[in-house]
Amino acid sequence: MTDQTDPEAGPPSPVAPSPVAPSPTELGIGGLLAGRVVLVTGAAAGVGRGVALAAAAAGATVGIGVRRPEGGHAIAAEIEAFGGPPAMVLRGDVTDPAQVVGSVETLVAAHGRLDAVVHNATSNRSSEPVDLETADLDLWHEHADVALTASYRLAVAAHHHLKASGGSYVIMVSPAGIDASGPLGFYSAVKAGQRGFVKALAREWGPDSIRVNGVAPLAVTPALENRFTVDPSMRERLRALIPLGWFGDPAADIGPPTVFLCSDAARYVTGQTLVVSGGRFTAL
Amino acid sequence: MTSPTHNPTITPPIAVVAGTTAAATGLITRLADRGHTVGHVDPGTAVDPRASFDAAFDVVAEQIGVPEVVVLAHLDPAAATAGPLIELDPETWDAAGERSIRVALQLLQAAHRHLPDGGRVVVVLPSVATIGVPGLVPMCTAVEAIRVMAKVAARRWGGRGITVNVVLVPLDAFLGEATPAGAAVPSLGLASLGERDALDDAAGLVLMLAGPDGTALTGATLGADAGTVMVP
Repeated sequence: MTDQTDPEAGPPSPVAPSPVAPSPTELGIGGLLAGRVVLVTGAAAGVGRGVALAAAAAGATVGIGVRRPEGGHAIAAEIEAFGGPPAMVLRGDVTDPAQVVGSVETLVAAHGRLDAVVHNATSNRSSEPVDLETADLDLWHEHADVALTASYRLAVAAHHHLKASGGSYVIMVSPAGIDASGPLGFYSAVKAGQRGFVKALAREWGPDSIRVNGVAPLAVTPALENRFTVDPSMRERLRALIPLGWFGDPAADIGPPTVFLCSDAARYVTGQTLVVSGGRFTAL
Repeated sequence: MTSPTHNPTITPPIAVVAGTTAAATGLITRLADRGHTVGHVDPGTAVDPRASFDAAFDVVAEQIGVPEVVVLAHLDPAAATAGPLIELDPETWDAAGERSIRVALQLLQAAHRHLPDGGRVVVVLPSVATIGVPGLVPMCTAVEAIRVMAKVAARRWGGRGITVNVVLVPLDAFLGEATPAGAAVPSLGLASLGERDALDDAAGLVLMLAGPDGTALTGATLGADAGTVMVP
């Protein structure tokens, strides 16, 4: 961060410095999900980790869906450290239908209910540029399996539990799935597909009192940090496009709006995509 | 491949329509009725779609000339089924939804290989994903993925002067008799312009986009619905 009072620091930055992200217990969402059970996929890092921490800070028992349990245990320890309800680490590779069903049923068996599913998992290759003109179907499958097909798998596995609780299904989409990214063509397409999925399923599940929404976040994630490593100037270029002047923190900035959509406070909200981007995207 | 540059101000466009839907066959008829040379690519169920599409484009080029306009108006026939998502097995989900996205990707790739600089791509889709239709979750998923994939192409291909746009038509116009009986498309009110031939209107938009007036328009989504959805 640039200290703008330091005369040696050069001209002031055109954007504001990033504020310090509040801790999960300082988010002001305590109690919003008290007594609720929430499954988060892809929860080992990035936005998934942030949503898991925020949901726990809001009082939820969180099922931490991860491919490798060791990553999940670290998140569970973070939740324990701030006094959140004990979280449950679930081996939940969303490309494996049996693990999807297993993670849902294990969580419900342990806690008796399921109130929300947040499908955050996305391909590890999401941030890799793709040559749309030549990319093959194997690569497409890697993207689609984790995002699109898994959206279907989770819906089928969770429907009757969410119907019983009058619950919520939130899918992490992306501004790229609306605005279209030239370099990230496959990522854009699968995220767009998830948005079409959200709209149609919201109408289909409305009579079951299940709400279905999307969140399109702009946040600092390991994937974005990797892109900054490849292209160091990219950080400032992108930051200058964000009216609020900083990249969202997964827990402090993306977590609370996602918690809101999972909660009764959003009981009349369905079929929507909430763009959480610090004002970066205002035309979506 | 060396291709001539498409100059819509002096060259009447030779169009290829890809698809087996009512929209595809209807557009072929309507474009031909307006005096345009139109070829057809059948996505079919080829084992190797890339080779199949290349061969089909080559046949069209041999028969009527190098296409300057490619119209994609295709969804897999399996998409035309309506029912609750939770009743779909994985194979049906794939056939009704994701298969159409893969075919669209390969058709877009073929269009990129075969179009000259300055060529035009128009992707015609049903308007179902604009508002979401219960019973058609796989189709809505596929349509929105394809629509944004077209926008990605628009962002990438502008350097060659190739435009890529989307035209949305009502579901019954897109699928014709294949429209599933259980598809409960939510009503958004009456069409402002009254009852019209949506495919004829779509053909008009294709020709506008293919002509000199369409040179600077890319990445857009236009509705041929006589003023029904009106989004945004």
